[in-house]
Amino acid sequence: MSDKKNIFERFGESQVWKSIFRSGVPRTRRQRMMSVLNSVFLHLHPVRLPRHAVKLKFTWCMGGLTFFLFLVLTISGILLMFYYRPTAEYAYTDMIDLGEQVPLGIMREIHRWGAHAMVITTWLHMFRVFMTGSYKPPREFNWSIGVLLLVLTLLLSFTGYLLPWDQLAMWAITVGGNMARATPFVGHEGPGAALLSIGDINFINMGADAKFALLGGRFVGEAALLRFYVLHCIGLPFVVMILMAVHFWRVRKDGGISGPT
Amino acid sequence: MEPFKNFIDVLTQPTLMLTLAMFTFPFFFPMNDWFDKWNRRLRLNLLWTKAGLIAVIIGLTLFFVVGVQDAEFRLIMLKPDNVPIVGLIFLVYFFMWVSMKQASDNDKLLSTGEKPNEYHDPDEKVLVWPDLVYVEFISLILCMCLLLVWSIGLDAPLEEPANPAATPNPSKAPWYFLGLQEMLVYFDPWLAGVVFPTIIIFGLMAIPYLDKNPEGSGYYQFKNRRLAISIYMFGWIILWVLLIIIGTFLRGPNWNFFGPFEYWDIHKLEPLTNINLSEIIYIKLFNTGLPSNILVREIFGFIVVFGYFLVFPPLLAKTVLKRIYLQLGNFGYGVFVFLLLCMLSLPIKMYLRWIFNLKYLIAIPEYFFNI
Amino acid sequence: MPAEAEQPLQEKKSSQQATASVGEGTIKEKVQRRSFISWLAVAWVAFAAATGGFFTMILRIFFPNVLFEPPQSFKIGPPDEYEIGLVDIRWQAKFGTWIIRDSEGIYALSTVCTHLGCTPNWLENESKFKCPCHGSGFRRSGINFEGPAPRPLERYRIVMADDGQILIDKSKKFQYEKGQWSDPEAFLVV
Repeated sequence: MSDKKNIFERFGESQVWKSIFRSGVPRTRRQRMMSVLNSVFLHLHPVRLPRHAVKLKFTWCMGGLTFFLFLVLTISGILLMFYYRPTAEYAYTDMIDLGEQVPLGIMREIHRWGAHAMVITTWLHMFRVFMTGSYKPPREFNWSIGVLLLVLTLLLSFTGYLLPWDQLAMWAITVGGNMARATPFVGHEGPGAALLSIGDINFINMGADAKFALLGGRFVGEAALLRFYVLHCIGLPFVVMILMAVHFWRVRKDGGISGPT
Repeated sequence: MEPFKNFIDVLTQPTLMLTLAMFTFPFFFPMNDWFDKWNRRLRLNLLWTKAGLIAVIIGLTLFFVVGVQDAEFRLIMLKPDNVPIVGLIFLVYFFMWVSMKQASDNDKLLSTGEKPNEYHDPDEKVLVWPDLVYVEFISLILCMCLLLVWSIGLDAPLEEPANPAATPNPSKAPWYFLGLQEMLVYFDPWLAGVVFPTIIIFGLMAIPYLDKNPEGSGYYQFKNRRLAISIYMFGWIILWVLLIIIGTFLRGPNWNFFGPFEYWDIHKLEPLTNINLSEIIYIKLFNTGLPSNILVREIFGFIVVFGYFLVFPPLLAKTVLKRIYLQLGNFGYGVFVFLLLCMLSLPIKMYLRWIFNLKYLIAIPEYFFNI
Repeated sequence: MPAEAEQPLQEKKSSQQATASVGEGTIKEKVQRRSFISWLAVAWVAFAAATGGFFTMILRIFFPNVLFEPPQSFKIGPPDEYEIGLVDIRWQAKFGTWIIRDSEGIYALSTVCTHLGCTPNWLENESKFKCPCHGSGFRRSGINFEGPAPRPLERYRIVMADDGQILIDKSKKFQYEKGQWSDPEAFLVV
């Protein structure tokens, strides 16, 4: 009998294959359910869904695309990190090299346009969730997590802005840093900062305020480049991943995708 | 073509465009019966039909096709970082249409007592494998294809190396922060750069706790949620997307306004001599000169600002927002109306600037406290 | 060994009994429980303080003890190199300073817009500094008159050095709104 089986079938029955994919090729209803349940990736999803939930006109797949773009940005970002050096001396020339000396010189393009696209998909996902009233009980908290994820998406994009070390970068961050300077109480040109002083000593001054903490100096320089690099590559993605885990977990725990009752 | 371009240049003067957008907005997203009546009488609901979609998409496409012929507009439109904005305009309208179309379909069903289109028999479920997994797979492949084509076709911008001594003119923030940059023209940095963004984030997070309306959970619907939807759309479309469009296409050298087809003249003279409320009152009205005591000097500003946040809430609670006040109680209503008033303070300050050249209501630069 | 191990167990038992009978227990036992709670409070406060201190130290990491930034003072040559009535922008790129000479003397203006720190451009025809970021405008003196800038440009300390050159010191700033422009070092009388 066994000689009638083709190579794929034989492979599918091998011990190796079966140890990885326990439920076999998803042909029967049971196998299909098990293949979702048994996969660490697929079990983000429930096994069964109401019919409206798989329709594109309901979900627009925007949440999924946002996550997908996050993965694309992570991978392309890691590839960029192999060549990019966050110093005032090299940052700009490394940018040029990334386009001209590195094979498949569109990685920076993928990263930059992907970042634009991710802001747009996050927007649209939020818009969809709002229009379908999906933030209503019991999903209130998950909406709030989502808002934080939107803010982090914008911050990730913003910190990435400095890294090319060109004029656009320089001045966008100068303006951003000077906004921090105006933070009430903790910025040295913000209202209330003058209250935090004893005699002539200002505790909040050019060398110690929110702007300084952000830039690592009194103006945008090499220290700021390094700080933004660390925030962009490690700090913010770390927070995003934690919040994303909460966000996905809560989608399931709050009763799965919203729908009419 | 010249008359058309001149017409667009006039129409897109931000003062005129924002006014038009703000005052026609409630007719497109009617928040009460009166606007709803006019929405139907003016046939604006046709916007959410298939014909409306086709008409608007063709109109927008024509505008950009004609626009790209113009040398000035082409410079702005084809700047690599601006290409997503053009795409964004199409996408925002398209998805607005997708949601509003389904919402108006559902409104009709619900008014006849039927279930919304999204409703299916709860027992009749579909399997995630293959039904959902395939949809996701195909959309992410399409997304990746689009991204690849975009990346091959358009180089990521790289300007001159960073130079701390020379600011490019004009110098624009990343596009999603252009609304913020626009806000910075009218409010002091501590407000526009720190306090308002914080309030916006907080306000967005508070939406589910302030919208107690149980209607429309899990399906597209407009009629029973019209206040919530119109506030959201106002904040998003007018105060974010429109300000992005203004910042991208209409702000030129020296941060002056230019029509989309207008030449970016660096020497365009625009007198912007702004004065504070205290100067208007003490110097122009009383003819006395500014008092030296800061509190006396700024007392009128404090009255206006505190009055705005103290008079309107009870007034609105008794009139147009009565239902919401009863629903949310004192605290919830207080938060809601504070957020609403903060949101409206932006257009109010813009108009004060445009009409009276007003710089600050309260101006205490000594302590960096300007409103 | 077993006897020793038994000992704490016995104590535990007795303390359990004490807590179990606390309702009708003696005053002494009640005080014991109360003091336990206050010890708990002390422990929590200590924990919170230690955690707070730890995070403050982490925050402190962001403020290094030494900064490596370019020098803040420099010489710009003798006064007769600067024409009366002109705004001199030759030091804008290198030192971020405009040198302006009027009929009475010379002053050094900071090129940092007081709004959000962009560098304004000097427009000779309109006789003003105009900021490209948000459209603030400043007069030749540095006074703000249009756009969002909340206050005038800052002036730097300007004095004559021993060798007859002008010395600009950027570490000392003079702000108009604080009445500091009348300071003798804010203005070099020539």
